[in-house]
Amino acid sequence: MPEETILTDDFLRELINVGEVDILIGVPTYNDAKTVGQVVQAIRAGLLKYFPRQRAVIVNADGGSRDGSQELVRAASISDLQHASHVYALRTLHCVSTEYSGGPSSSVALHTILAAAELLQASSCAVVAPDSTNIEPGWIESLLRPVTRDGFDLVTPVYRRHKFDGLLIRNLLYPMNRALYLRRVREPYPLDFAFSGRLATHFLGQDLWSQEAGRIGAEIYLTISAIAGGFRLAQSFLGPRAHVEYAASDLVVAMRRSVGVLFWSLEQNGSVWQTQAQSQPIPTIGPDHELSAEPLRVNPKRLHEMFVRGVAELEPVLKSILSQATLAELQRAASLPEEDFRYSDELWVRTAYEFASAYHKAVISRDHIVQALVPLYRGKAHTFLLENRDASSEEVESNVERLCVTFERRKPSLLEMWDGRK
Amino acid sequence: MELPQDALWYKDAIIYQVHVRAFYDSTGDGSGDFRGLAQKLDYLQELGINALWMMPFFPSPLRDDGYDISDYRSVHPSYGTLDDFKIFLEAAHQRAIRVIIEMVLNHTSNQHPWFQESRSSLNNPKRDWYVWSETDTRYRGTRIIFLDTELSNWAWDPVSKQYYWHRFFSHQPDLNYDNPAVREEMWNVMKFWLEMGVDAFRLDAVPYLVEREGTNCENLPETHQIMKDFRARLDREFPGRMFLAEANQWPADLRPYFGDGDEFHMAFNFPLMPRMFMGLKLEDRKPITEILQQTPAIPENCQWCLFLRNHDELTLEMVTDIERDYMYDEYAREKSMRLNLGIRRRLAPLLDNDRRRMELMNGILMSLPGTPIIYYGDEIGMGDNVNLGDRNGVRTPMQWDGGWNGGFSAADPEALYSPLMLNPVYGYQAVNVQSQKRFEHSLLSWTKRIIKARKSLPVFGRGTIEFLYPANHRVLAYVRQFGKDTILVVNNLSNSAQAVELDLRPYKGNILIEMFGRNPFPRIGDLPYLLTMGPYQFYWFRLRRI
Amino acid sequence: MWQTIIKELTQATLDMVHGILQFLPRLAGMLIVVVFGWVIAYILKSILRTILQLARFDKLSEDAGAAQLLKRAALPSSTELLSRFVFWVAWIGFILIGVSVLGIVGLQEHVARFFGFLPRLFAALFVFFFGLLGASFFSRAALLAAVNADLPSPRLIASTIRTIIIVFAVSMGFEELGIGEHTTLVAFAIVFGALMLGLALAFGLGGRDLARHFLERRFVHERREEKEDELSPL
Repeated sequence: MPEETILTDDFLRELINVGEVDILIGVPTYNDAKTVGQVVQAIRAGLLKYFPRQRAVIVNADGGSRDGSQELVRAASISDLQHASHVYALRTLHCVSTEYSGGPSSSVALHTILAAAELLQASSCAVVAPDSTNIEPGWIESLLRPVTRDGFDLVTPVYRRHKFDGLLIRNLLYPMNRALYLRRVREPYPLDFAFSGRLATHFLGQDLWSQEAGRIGAEIYLTISAIAGGFRLAQSFLGPRAHVEYAASDLVVAMRRSVGVLFWSLEQNGSVWQTQAQSQPIPTIGPDHELSAEPLRVNPKRLHEMFVRGVAELEPVLKSILSQATLAELQRAASLPEEDFRYSDELWVRTAYEFASAYHKAVISRDHIVQALVPLYRGKAHTFLLENRDASSEEVESNVERLCVTFERRKPSLLEMWDGRK
Repeated sequence: MELPQDALWYKDAIIYQVHVRAFYDSTGDGSGDFRGLAQKLDYLQELGINALWMMPFFPSPLRDDGYDISDYRSVHPSYGTLDDFKIFLEAAHQRAIRVIIEMVLNHTSNQHPWFQESRSSLNNPKRDWYVWSETDTRYRGTRIIFLDTELSNWAWDPVSKQYYWHRFFSHQPDLNYDNPAVREEMWNVMKFWLEMGVDAFRLDAVPYLVEREGTNCENLPETHQIMKDFRARLDREFPGRMFLAEANQWPADLRPYFGDGDEFHMAFNFPLMPRMFMGLKLEDRKPITEILQQTPAIPENCQWCLFLRNHDELTLEMVTDIERDYMYDEYAREKSMRLNLGIRRRLAPLLDNDRRRMELMNGILMSLPGTPIIYYGDEIGMGDNVNLGDRNGVRTPMQWDGGWNGGFSAADPEALYSPLMLNPVYGYQAVNVQSQKRFEHSLLSWTKRIIKARKSLPVFGRGTIEFLYPANHRVLAYVRQFGKDTILVVNNLSNSAQAVELDLRPYKGNILIEMFGRNPFPRIGDLPYLLTMGPYQFYWFRLRRI
Repeated sequence: MWQTIIKELTQATLDMVHGILQFLPRLAGMLIVVVFGWVIAYILKSILRTILQLARFDKLSEDAGAAQLLKRAALPSSTELLSRFVFWVAWIGFILIGVSVLGIVGLQEHVARFFGFLPRLFAALFVFFFGLLGASFFSRAALLAAVNADLPSPRLIASTIRTIIIVFAVSMGFEELGIGEHTTLVAFAIVFGALMLGLALAFGLGGRDLARHFLERRFVHERREEKEDELSPL
């Protein structure tokens, strides 16, 4: 079966000139000229400082920028032709860039980067988000060293996050991924991560690239694929995460990419997650969580409002997804005033599992199922904000841990729903 | 045969560096001599070289392999007599081989009569011929060159109870070039040999002639002036002779030694040499092109001297710390191979006895702008013995055949000045001239062919160079031009096959003719010229418009 | 006089019986054809059903999402549906042949016209069916989008879209059937046009600010005072 060619002729020519490398760092961009210059300089400094003797390349996969992002990446290359005399390097460092078709998509970018890594036989690879403005050269070492020296196949990051940042991860992705796939990966949807050439080849051979999941959520599938394939995972503490702007509508997109793909993955990997075993921690370099508690502007009232409205307006949709009991409880909860409202861990876990099961059975269009989860998640986020408003980072962490345990404890109910009775 | 009378003969020279003691023993005393060297001139002529540079052969206590001289106007008895030398010189000239000898200007042995006189008392007329001091604190901050053996540049003389200055071993006191008598005497020494017919001098350790307080005592303007004076006298009295400078300095500091074409004719390009090895290991041309980019242009009548190895350690003085660590880790894993900020190994062991790499490095040596030097024994791929002290590991006897003492000497093996190489890989039975002469595909035969190719066109010695910078950084490519000749040289520095696209648009319309097989390659068009190369392969193309 | 009447009546009765006797064989022929046709159609249906079951047609249609649609429309499974459809088409074909055997001229013409009408009937049913499905899909999509984008009255938007699509499908169906083509079409155009005009006026005049607000949020990327919080979920 002929594969689609994702490497254009021009890009292939550039890759031929780069030749075999030891380290490949991929940077996906789309109109990121404001931040990518600084990010690429930090990457370069990291390579020169920690891996001066290794053959390295920076590969940029661009979604069609019109603001010169590609040129900024290319300008970082070090060769005998560019007299960048203030930078000392033992070797040539190529920085190549290609534009992939079909509009910006981080998954297509990842696909391109993986293909380049395989072609160049890179044994260690990393991907760095173009807006990681908090990046230090040391991040390159923290991400790559476990791969180059210790033989790990996937290194996900651990960030110093604000205690209210990444709520979708902490309330749904991390606990559910942990309960189902049995690995305590704090950032299952990583934006800065490292992986081995072995995992790259394995992942390229997976059957997701021609499907929807391959276009929107390859990152989380990479984590799942690594777990399912028996690869060695680790996580490495990097530093504070750069704050990324999110608008209300982006939440739907974020859900599709992460939760949607997570649900979809359950179809393909039944043999991996359909067990009753306990989750295991993965080797962690540095602390495995760090929370800060600066003041942050939040609007819990709005979250609660959107939850209530969601439950009310989406009743016909929720009816086909949730069990009667769960829906009734939700409606009861929605009827309470804001001060008394609480989306308990138990109820949330039941909600999540019932949604997963409904997705599996495709009771209605799968994309609609994912969209329907959004207002419910908002309710859970509201509860999280309120519970942890004055909490210390240790207390927050233990609350998250409690939620994880609940997800793991109720896993059998998902297994039951999956096969037979709804 | 007559010596070609060309004032710029050194631009077309191919120099063979030889150790008289190590080459051929005709007397049976265990050590090579001039008569022996004369007997081997046919071999050298057949090899194709046209200039011979000998290591110091003046009388000497031999505590620094002859660089500690105790008499400037004679020959060390173990190499023969002055007459033997004259006979040898005549024989060389008959074979159109020029002779370059060492002239150690900077210092003498402490056994030299001058020093004996100088130290004898504070009032001796020759007292001022050396650099004396009450204290050892003058010229503080000057670097020590033989780091592994010396702790200071001053040594205490118990006879005259003062310190004397020595940039090298403590038994090699520095001459005082501020003294006009010294300068005059050294000119007379040179004149002695020039009148005999010697064609050129390799002037050892020239940067260190003059010291001044508050400087690093290297490359001082006074030193340059002294050399210019010598050169002026040379041109006046002995036109067509040549000065070759040994100055291990960064390119910018080397340039002044050429003056305005009125100082040295040639200088060794020290900074380039370690970077050639580095580029090969890194599989990246960047170290090579960058150092050559930094190498300044030199006057028309001047020439660089290029070499891969010589009698000294492969010096890593003129590289950064990161580069030095890399070179040590890649080329000298065992500490015993390292000496004085360098690596004391021969070419073949450095390149893992890999024939392809040896050919590639020689190919680059022969095609870069400059006069190449072949170190004796490297044309057959001799090995080294790191267990011999100092730098003697690379100065073992020449291996002529697989018989008694490798054909070097009729003496008992125990009487040889140095043990022979015996191991199965580099020993004289495996590596020797006799067996390599018989085969067309031996390293020796190949070296003859490449020398012939190099000599076939003056472009290599006299032409300009322009680097091409193909996107494939593993390929080193450049164009040499002189008159109507244009040569394209492409080198694959990597261990794996490579594809490279060259931008040859300025040469559009030319056909490439590969110089060794003389086969034509496709004509250059508008598109980038694609070449595919095997591991460590190189091409020399002649561009012809037909 | 009486004799003439009785003679005429007898003649008429005899004619009628004669006619009936002539008709009966043809009627019998028609019935035979119809029964025969039923048997053939039944066999065809069974064969098709077996083939489809072997080819797991149900699974395929489930993957394509058709199964869900059918269940919601309270229709039997795809295999069953297709088999029955084939049965009816085959049987009706035989009925046609049977009717032509009857030889009743006028009836033949009507039957022919009826069968000429059938494709259009199918097309109209097709349009209705997919219109219904499309209506429910798009109205649900609109509902979800509206809820998640926090637009006002999501249910209203959803039902409006459902209604519009259904009305559109119905009028397309009627046009296909040829029933009151122009009437329904014009009526639909009027209603739709009025709706749009009304919305435009409402937006343009009354909802000017709201419209600008809405457009800004959709198309302008700088969200300064718009953001309600600084949270990022991922």
